[in-house]
Amino acid sequence: MNNRTIARLLQTPAVLLLLVWMLVPLGLTLYFSFLRYVLNSLRKPEWTVPQLSNWRGFGNYEYVLYKSKDFWFAIQNSLLIVGSILVITVVLGLAIAILVNRSFPGRGIVRVLLISPFFVMPAVNAVLWINMILDPVLGLNGLAIEGLNHLVAGLKDFPILGHFFALWPELEPISFRATQTSAYAVIMMVAWQWTPFAVLIFMTSLQSEDQQQKEAALLDGASAWAQFVYLTIPHLARPIAIVVMIQSIFHLSLYAEIEIVSRGNGNKNLPYLIGEFTSNNIGAASATGIFAVILANIVAIFLLRMVGKNLVD
Amino acid sequence: MAAIGSRSKLGDILWPVVAWTVALIFFFPIFWMVFTSFKTDADAVKPEFLFFFTPTLENYLNMTENYDYWRFAINSVITASFATIFALAVGVPAAYAMAFNPTKRTKDVLVWMLSTKMLPAAAVLYPMTYLTKNFLNIFDTHFLVILVLCLINLPIVIWMLFTYFKEIPKEIIEAGQMDGVNTWGEIKDILLPLAWGGLASTALLCFIFCWNEAYWTVRLTTTEAATLSKLIEGNRAPEGLFFGRLSAVSTAAVGPIVVLGWFCQKQLVQGLTFGAVK
Repeated sequence: MNNRTIARLLQTPAVLLLLVWMLVPLGLTLYFSFLRYVLNSLRKPEWTVPQLSNWRGFGNYEYVLYKSKDFWFAIQNSLLIVGSILVITVVLGLAIAILVNRSFPGRGIVRVLLISPFFVMPAVNAVLWINMILDPVLGLNGLAIEGLNHLVAGLKDFPILGHFFALWPELEPISFRATQTSAYAVIMMVAWQWTPFAVLIFMTSLQSEDQQQKEAALLDGASAWAQFVYLTIPHLARPIAIVVMIQSIFHLSLYAEIEIVSRGNGNKNLPYLIGEFTSNNIGAASATGIFAVILANIVAIFLLRMVGKNLVD
Repeated sequence: MAAIGSRSKLGDILWPVVAWTVALIFFFPIFWMVFTSFKTDADAVKPEFLFFFTPTLENYLNMTENYDYWRFAINSVITASFATIFALAVGVPAAYAMAFNPTKRTKDVLVWMLSTKMLPAAAVLYPMTYLTKNFLNIFDTHFLVILVLCLINLPIVIWMLFTYFKEIPKEIIEAGQMDGVNTWGEIKDILLPLAWGGLASTALLCFIFCWNEAYWTVRLTTTEAATLSKLIEGNRAPEGLFFGRLSAVSTAAVGPIVVLGWFCQKQLVQGLTFGAVK
């Protein structure tokens, strides 16, 4: 056997495994998306078996697009959640990366503390935030507002100044279990988890920044701001693009956090909607799944182009 | 944004203070979870015991009774370990072939592998349940969880190994071929000793990803093969009265992984950006 044959043989298991993993479930989803297929139906028991005689054409797609009002809400909510997380993590990530890119006492420990949230499992992240931090009564959210009210109430007793504080309304803690506020809770906890990721990548990239160029700019009298805008930002353009794309792919399929935070309160994204359909209407779930694949692919194509270009032949 | 030359005295003091403050804010939720895990359930919700309380180990000692922690933990260890081993067993030969005998298509194959990672899991949830329950009869088994964890991490494993292997001079491998060493010998005696560090960090990162995986492990198990993600997810209800014990079990679930993560920060960048950021 020559080298080429051996090389091909060595790759075969990996390629075959991934090929099956990609094609079989996706093929089934595509097939189901064209069928009338439900898990329970007393009226039409034949619909509970996936078979060609239940062919529905694009009926499921039409149903999802036009008849189920949840679909557009889920798309909108997915984009709201992903977009907000991206803006927060990139801005905070940049600021923090620049902050810790300078040497100061205890920098190693600061880095370790900063990166830690990224390794917390998503389920723990969600349970921790929604209960112990954001709960309006028992969490720190509730306790902090209560403490503040207490403080203001105490200040009201002061002479003269008290009249001013008497104008303050009693504050109410925000409940993060309503539809829209629970989306904010999800944004908050995911941004907390993924900002460290952005920091880590920007930091790695900052370390490869051309210091001589910066010193030259300094000699020419460029301000710190000018250096940042004309040297650092262009240098970070590629890492920023990568952070944005990788996060988009991960967050478009966000699930655990949504499920834990907002079970049943109407806050949903595309994967959660698929989960809801899956409890009975498999046809609609599959059609929605195909939409999710298309959405993810739009992002993926750009990312793969960039990563592929980077391969040294 | 202090530039190199314009450091002021004030900046020298203020800079570390700001950096430390930001770091402590980010770490606070984790600290709070560990802190609360030493409070009793009753103390945990009382404002008067917010910071000062009598620490207790009760939550940790009762973890088995309250949550059956060890059963889930053992499942997590088993599935994450075997998935990592299998991913390496399949990934090392593939990455070796791609790094040292590249063809015109190698680049395309690598990019295609990565693209399988971008398939939204929710889209194929039902077919997976359907196949594993009705046809293969492997629903809720360790085998299934290991297989799925291995498959979803295989692209990252191959990609990371590929970037490490590429840095090894080709001449070393070719010298081995001249001496008549066979392929297996090349991998075992030449490649693996040289790429040991890269191999270890790939394994570590793969293990962390397997451990934290929360979609498939929750959806494809019920009791037998349920992992820690499933355990925590099952306790999502507002458990106001059980903050203490919930914190303890959460700490036990993430503690080892956070510590492991500290050791592979650098590799994380490479692994997650597929070598695109250096």
